[in-house]
Amino acid sequence: MLDNSVILETKEITMRFGGLVAVDNFCIQLKKTDLIGIIGPNGAGKTTIFNMITGIYTPSAGDIILDQKSIKNRRPAVITQLGIARTFQNIRLFKDLTVFDNIRIAGHFRMNYGLLSSVFRNKKFHSEEKRLENETLELLEIFDLSDKKNYLAKNLPYGMQRRLEIARALATRPKVLLLDEPAAGMNPKETKELTDLIRWLRDKFQIAILLIEHDMKLVMEVCEKIHVVDYGMQIAHGLPKDIQGNPKVIEAYLGTQ
Amino acid sequence: MDYIAHLTLNTGIFIILAVSLNLINGICGQFSLGHAGFWAVGAYTGAAYSVYMALPVPDFINLFISCIVGFISAAFAGVIIGVPCLRLRGDYLAIATLGFSEIIRIVIVNLDVVGGARGFTNIPNWSNLFWVYSWVVITIIIIANIINSTHGRAIISIREDEIAAESMGIHTFKYKTLAFVIGAGFAGLAGSLFAHAQQFLHPNGFTFLWSVIILLMVILGGLGSITGSIIGAIILTVLPELLRFFGETISQWRMVVYSLLLIILMLARPGGIFGKHELDIKSWFRRSKL
Repeated sequence: MLDNSVILETKEITMRFGGLVAVDNFCIQLKKTDLIGIIGPNGAGKTTIFNMITGIYTPSAGDIILDQKSIKNRRPAVITQLGIARTFQNIRLFKDLTVFDNIRIAGHFRMNYGLLSSVFRNKKFHSEEKRLENETLELLEIFDLSDKKNYLAKNLPYGMQRRLEIARALATRPKVLLLDEPAAGMNPKETKELTDLIRWLRDKFQIAILLIEHDMKLVMEVCEKIHVVDYGMQIAHGLPKDIQGNPKVIEAYLGTQ
Repeated sequence: MDYIAHLTLNTGIFIILAVSLNLINGICGQFSLGHAGFWAVGAYTGAAYSVYMALPVPDFINLFISCIVGFISAAFAGVIIGVPCLRLRGDYLAIATLGFSEIIRIVIVNLDVVGGARGFTNIPNWSNLFWVYSWVVITIIIIANIINSTHGRAIISIREDEIAAESMGIHTFKYKTLAFVIGAGFAGLAGSLFAHAQQFLHPNGFTFLWSVIILLMVILGGLGSITGSIIGAIILTVLPELLRFFGETISQWRMVVYSLLLIILMLARPGGIFGKHELDIKSWFRRSKL
């Protein structure tokens, strides 16, 4: 039996920008190895939900619980260190750095030597750097990026940049991974590979994955549960097959007859 | 010969200034225009130490102490200025740091203890080529070692993408402040060396123009490259002296020559002479073996 305790929970989080309610009372529960999707038309507030969970915005109301502790009002960097990693809708790699360095930077907060150690290059510096290097190479191997490790991130093909971004997020050793439109701009073949990758990630790393996606085929195929938002409101949630037939969802996407 | 020695000494001081500004502007990507301010803080506090508080020890130890005094006081000024200013981005940060460096200068003008507008005189002549270049080497090693460590990579990631850096668990504000403070500290150290070489300081020697010239050195060599900053500092301290040999008129037109040089550089190599790369002598040998 899998460990099925709740790892991440949002309790009626609301985000107001002046008079506009971008997200209204959004609730979601992620168990340790859940794979859940959030869908909705453009401007429905999906990315705002991600930004609240990762601490870029502070919710106007409600609470976010990670591992039984509230992470509301924490800085994004602290939230990442506590175990939530994310990717971005428009890829945000460190473009002018190598693939290798991109991953190494994600391991920064787990490095255990001070500034003076880096100036004097003592034993601790060398052992920690060696550890990081090994971890990085291992991760690159898993993601099939080993032969590209000295390429600049910007020179990778698009699909590979997406993969690198996911690898970089995983290098922070998260408990929950948030993917913001991972299939955006991908061709059908790349999307297919991504579908397999996402499922494999969950099994291999035993983490919860929450993803926003427009590609219905991917969402329906990969997610075990789906939440639908429209105008900041959660209009439906449930299994993929229930969502497909839900009249409210069809109305949100296609309008009424 | 004295002239050459003095020029070489000044070049060394500007190398420290350019390399330290490169840490802030090139490596961390925070556009600071206040380097002359930190330089002034270090020069004046370092000189004040030697004039009023010098210990009865050999000169070179006193010079060392005064360099440390300059470093610490400029780093402290860096904290005071950096904490409010580093919340700003891009042009706004440039304007705020520029403002602060002018404030520092005006404060010095009104400080009678250090001579005020009359200038600070009677500073002992302790700087020499050996100590200046020892500090140049120490500065370069320390900054290069920091850059090539996990802390340096954290600083670089802020330049590349601040939001992504934060979401990788890096305390971006802490590292921005760190880069700023270390950069300011080394500028102060250069200031102290400068004070003991010139033996006379005047607030007008630390105007905004000098911040721009140090920035030009960094940009000319390539933002983000230490070797670039060194080359940039050498070119921009030696070039005006070379122009002297072409007669009074050309020497007076040196700012025009600078501008032309920059325009040509930006057209030919927009990233500076070295771009973000370092001069790597080892790699030449590797290539020649192949």
